[in-house]
Amino acid sequence: MTAPDQRNVRRWLTELAAGNRRWIQGAVLTGTLAGIATIVQMVLLARIIHLGVLEGVPASQLTGLFVALVFTLIVRAVFQGLQTRLAAQCSKRIRRSARRQIHRRWQASGPVAMGRESPGALAREWIDHVEALHGYYARFLPQMQLSVIVPLLILGLVFWVDWLAATFLLLSAPLIPLFMALVGMGAEKLNQQHFKSISRLSGQFLDKVRGLTTLQLFGQTEPAANLIARRSDQYRVVTMKTLKVAFLSSAVLEFFASVAIAVIAIYVGFGLLGYISFGPADELTLFSGLLILLLAPEFFQPLRTLSQFYHDRAAALGAGAEILARLHQGVEGPPPRKSVQSAPAAKGYEHVVTIDNVTLTHPGDQLPWFRNLNLTIEKGQAVALTGPSGGGKSSLLYLLAGFLAPDSGEIRVFGQAPGKAGFGWLGQKGFLVHGSWADNLRLTSPDASDIAIDTALRRVGLGDLVNGRKDGIYSEVSDQGRGLSGGEARRLSLARIFVADYDLILLDEPTAGLDSASEIFILESLRKLSQSGKTLIFSTHHHALLALADRVLTVDNGEVADA
Amino acid sequence: MRELTPWLALISRRPWRLVLGGVLILATLVSGIALLALSGWFITDTAIAGILLAAGTQVAVNLYVPGGGIRFFAVSRTVARYLERIYNHDTVLRLLMDIRVALFRKLASTNRVGQSKLSGAQWLSRLTSDVDALDTIYLRVIAPAGLAALITLLVTLLAWRLFSGTVALVLLATTTLSFVLATAIVYVRTRKPSYRQADRQEALRTAVVEHIEGFAELRAAGRTGRHGAWLLRQAHRMNSEQVEIDSRVGWHQAISQLLINLSAVFALWAGYALFESGAISGPVLVLLPIAILGLAEVYSMLPDAFGKLGATVSSAARLNRDVSPAGKADRIAVDEPSEEMALVASDIAVRHEGFAPVLTHFDLTLARGERIGILGRSGSGKSSLADTLAGLLPPSRGKLARQACVYLTQQTVLFDDTLRANLVLGNPEASDAQMWQVLELVELGERFAREQDQLDTWLGNTGSRLSGGEARRVALARVLLNPAPLVILDEPFTGLDADTRGRISKRLDRWLEGRSVLSLAHGSETLPATDRVIHLG
Repeated sequence: MTAPDQRNVRRWLTELAAGNRRWIQGAVLTGTLAGIATIVQMVLLARIIHLGVLEGVPASQLTGLFVALVFTLIVRAVFQGLQTRLAAQCSKRIRRSARRQIHRRWQASGPVAMGRESPGALAREWIDHVEALHGYYARFLPQMQLSVIVPLLILGLVFWVDWLAATFLLLSAPLIPLFMALVGMGAEKLNQQHFKSISRLSGQFLDKVRGLTTLQLFGQTEPAANLIARRSDQYRVVTMKTLKVAFLSSAVLEFFASVAIAVIAIYVGFGLLGYISFGPADELTLFSGLLILLLAPEFFQPLRTLSQFYHDRAAALGAGAEILARLHQGVEGPPPRKSVQSAPAAKGYEHVVTIDNVTLTHPGDQLPWFRNLNLTIEKGQAVALTGPSGGGKSSLLYLLAGFLAPDSGEIRVFGQAPGKAGFGWLGQKGFLVHGSWADNLRLTSPDASDIAIDTALRRVGLGDLVNGRKDGIYSEVSDQGRGLSGGEARRLSLARIFVADYDLILLDEPTAGLDSASEIFILESLRKLSQSGKTLIFSTHHHALLALADRVLTVDNGEVADA
Repeated sequence: MRELTPWLALISRRPWRLVLGGVLILATLVSGIALLALSGWFITDTAIAGILLAAGTQVAVNLYVPGGGIRFFAVSRTVARYLERIYNHDTVLRLLMDIRVALFRKLASTNRVGQSKLSGAQWLSRLTSDVDALDTIYLRVIAPAGLAALITLLVTLLAWRLFSGTVALVLLATTTLSFVLATAIVYVRTRKPSYRQADRQEALRTAVVEHIEGFAELRAAGRTGRHGAWLLRQAHRMNSEQVEIDSRVGWHQAISQLLINLSAVFALWAGYALFESGAISGPVLVLLPIAILGLAEVYSMLPDAFGKLGATVSSAARLNRDVSPAGKADRIAVDEPSEEMALVASDIAVRHEGFAPVLTHFDLTLARGERIGILGRSGSGKSSLADTLAGLLPPSRGKLARQACVYLTQQTVLFDDTLRANLVLGNPEASDAQMWQVLELVELGERFAREQDQLDTWLGNTGSRLSGGEARRVALARVLLNPAPLVILDEPFTGLDADTRGRISKRLDRWLEGRSVLSLAHGSETLPATDRVIHLG
């Protein structure tokens, strides 16, 4: 996977939000309204103080203003609460679309490509990486807009009240993009540095925990504990050196915010005393002066909040880059080829599986695996594919399953495109889900009756295992602290095929690496399936399986011939 | 909350550091409030003086003290904030170290039975995130909450001094309510969902992994779409609960801030009566409400931190559970056998907790200096037997007596460290010459003599720079460095070709002269030289 550059990641993050723009707009709107309420609150406060202290208006006449103030505060709280709710909802929806996108990508890349990836890594992308987007949409994105809107509103008001005081704020305004860059750089560096040292430390720690038994055996746990302590301390010293610089950028923001307040306070104070003879200073009143002072911290607050959310952005960019790499991965390969879908249901082919003039090239290979391959398999036959490993047996099965699409030519399974109708597939690894035996079988055949499930499990030799449990087919597959062996898991998969009653069953090395008990059950099951008229196509080297076949094909070097 | 106790005790082992960090935070917060309150006082004072001056009255205005104060607080807020962040970040890293080391010691003191599940990559990564959740509990929860309470008290004291006892009492009531809403009540209202989130996520992860492992089968049955949709619904449900937590935190934040603001309004309103009666001056009337408004910032981080506390408690609970001793004696006591014997096992049963016994009625006598081979196919309980004989797994019944032993486990475990560090585990006193000698024995001498760093060659993540066979031989070399009189080797030659096996086997025989050796393997060709061989059923 090549990492996409940051601009693409940012574009993807924006596109992802497109369908939910209203929610973000809602969050920004409520945030703005809360900001306006804050401004009104300050206006009312300054007004009350001015009237009461300077003009000597009795408290009884100020009741109206007090009531308005309380009302404003309530409005502010309501919008504040709504903002969080909307933002959280928005992030939830966006994460759902991200997961949907990734799942669609999985669907498009198909089982063959999926089989090459580690399930743990794919699950991490689908769960943790998508979760990492939460803070970006719920906090950072709305706050980024608010940190422009609210300060501008405040600046406008202050300008109207006293343009010189507004100029002080404005002087810092061109600095705001600079702040943001500074904060961003600082936060980014801090985040990277922190992340790096933490993950290194975790690595060291986990390494020791993983090998704990070995350390115990050699009686070396105490030296290892001391080593963890020593290494942690070394990393701390290194990290702190970087942090001392990284924190400076946010200190700059704090510094400007503090200084702006101090400058405004002193300017207003001197102005009120009449010591400042230029500009609008002589028009200052307690009301306007106090209002400017109360609004000054609110001017900087959105930006300070934004700087707290900056790590959300860094986390989302990091996770987004990995998700995007996954989404693009399949696209670079050959696009899903049309022949799969377009093969029309053809008359006269209902009783055969045909491969007609098929050429297949694996992605990345120069030469095709199969060139103009032709093959016809009668319905109801059991066909064994044999030949050296790497000769193309699996590829042929994947073609018949529709997991791979040919470059050219046509494949028809009983007259239909491969994979169009359900079929049985047994890979080399059995597959089971957390849950009961019934859950596991109903995964592929949701309508199967209890009796059918019980019969199928019996047929593959799992009857004893199931009937020994209290709840029969409704007992957990892996309870009593015991999982299934590889052979039992594969038999469980075979039971699914029995329940589902498919016409075509494809099996990739069904007996490879099995214990003898499982081998016998699988051979017997396949014989039963074949006798009941199913079409079986399997790759194998196993003598007993070859003996079971009606027809044996040798697949070698892209050639398929009757053995 | 009880789950947190051992971790809080651990954190509080650095009391002065925590106090100093707290003082710095306090200085930051107080400076911020004082800057605004003093500015408000100053503006009001000058406004009143300005009117008197304009009316031609002579008034003396002291500009220097408040002006200096304003400048001082502007600078002290910035400086304290910077120092606080650096100092407390350093503390967090130190706490992280304390927690890791303590956790490691606890894990090391439990025996393998308690840890049988503790090997998966998933468990390890969860362990990391659980530890990370705990290391910030001081900076996110304890310090902010403690200081918020302290500052609230300071502001109330100020109200008592400047205004009146009644005003102070009312303020104390409203701010306390706000504080409780932002802390304890948020915790109580989000505790359960927050606690559950980690479990939900684990369940979802299991389901996603299953989906991917069964992708081909599901696809064949035409069920990937349906099953995928089911997964999406599960994820959505998890996130919906998270939205619920977020919303509750948000509302609590809003209401707690509302209460702070209302307190400020109350102070202003109550102050008026005092102002009108001449008990307080105009500037003082302005100072207190502005100081109270400043509390909003002090409280602003609390609801979020307490909303996550439920998850932190669940992290602590998991860690407590994982490190709790397995109920039995930590070290499996093993008797010394009689003079002539190296190992005597009589009527032993081998059984993993919760599983059917792997072996029963097993007897074995190994005389000193004797070499015995045990053969058994994979899955015959061979490695569990080796674990039992070596003392990792207590026998579920029977008696075991043996000399001190050294044991090569079936699994090759190398550390992300230098070759030397990996070897000295076997024998901390081993000299360089001894290490080279044993490396020669396993035919790795030349391989590492070629490396630039020789014995200090870094073996990389779990020995990833080595091939499987090389890693196995390093593990074997480590065991051979140990002077214990009894040597137990489980599949010593994994990943080695027949020629290498033969050569090493010969040298091994000479190296172990006079010591008792018990080797286990799946086939006789992978067994070192033995006096007799036992076959497992």
